[in-house]
Amino acid sequence: MSHDPTFWILARASGLTAYVLLTLSVLAGIVVKSRPFGSRVRQVVAIDTHRTFAALGLGALAIHATALVLDKTVRMPVQALFIPGLSSYRPYSVSIGVLTAELIVIVYASFSLRKRIGFKNWRRLHWATYGLFVGGTAHGLLSGTDSRRTWALAIYLGAIASVAAATTWRTLAPLTEGEQDVPSRYRQ
Amino acid sequence: MFRVDIDSDLCSGFAACVDVAPEIFKLDDSGTATLLVPETDDKRALKAAADCPMAAIAVFDAESGERVV
Repeated sequence: MSHDPTFWILARASGLTAYVLLTLSVLAGIVVKSRPFGSRVRQVVAIDTHRTFAALGLGALAIHATALVLDKTVRMPVQALFIPGLSSYRPYSVSIGVLTAELIVIVYASFSLRKRIGFKNWRRLHWATYGLFVGGTAHGLLSGTDSRRTWALAIYLGAIASVAAATTWRTLAPLTEGEQDVPSRYRQ
Repeated sequence: MFRVDIDSDLCSGFAACVDVAPEIFKLDDSGTATLLVPETDDKRALKAAADCPMAAIAVFDAESGERVV
């Protein structure tokens, strides 16, 4: 009986989809904080976009993990999804993916717990997202079987360039540009 | 005159409002922004609302009730 590639294709597609969606969430998060578009993007829209991309990214991540377990191309026991080092397939880079995914879930859940854990701790935890982007990129490039394809490299390079550019903007630009949201007749 | 409203569920304690207008806003013990005055004619309330990273502050024209920011 021939090997059914459905789950293998789904695992690869959902992995890249999760990477793209979570990258978009990182970018939207930087827009929330540094407001490069001024009043053209309302703050509430930027926040909703940031959270929606994060939720969609987590959904794609869940599909990625489930498809890897159901697929027979690489052997991925359920416990290997949660405990780093149990995957026989590219164990180091898969471990990076496991740890990154677990931290992504923690950062996402921390939004609802931010009053309980304290706002400062919540914001400190959010700084981890830069490391998670690096972790996700490393996991994708080193674990993904499509990484050497031109289109896949274009996705990774596009994500790295956009996050690097947005981070540079955030570093160099003033913290907020809220003045532009104030109606002109009320400006000081 | 402006009426200022803070959505305490949205507020995440960035304190951007306190930086802009410490005479109008302060953080309570839990880190949530609270109002020192219910109404003000200080236009920094508008900038504080626009600067809030969580869009948790709304400012209304006290007379007309129209939302300004």
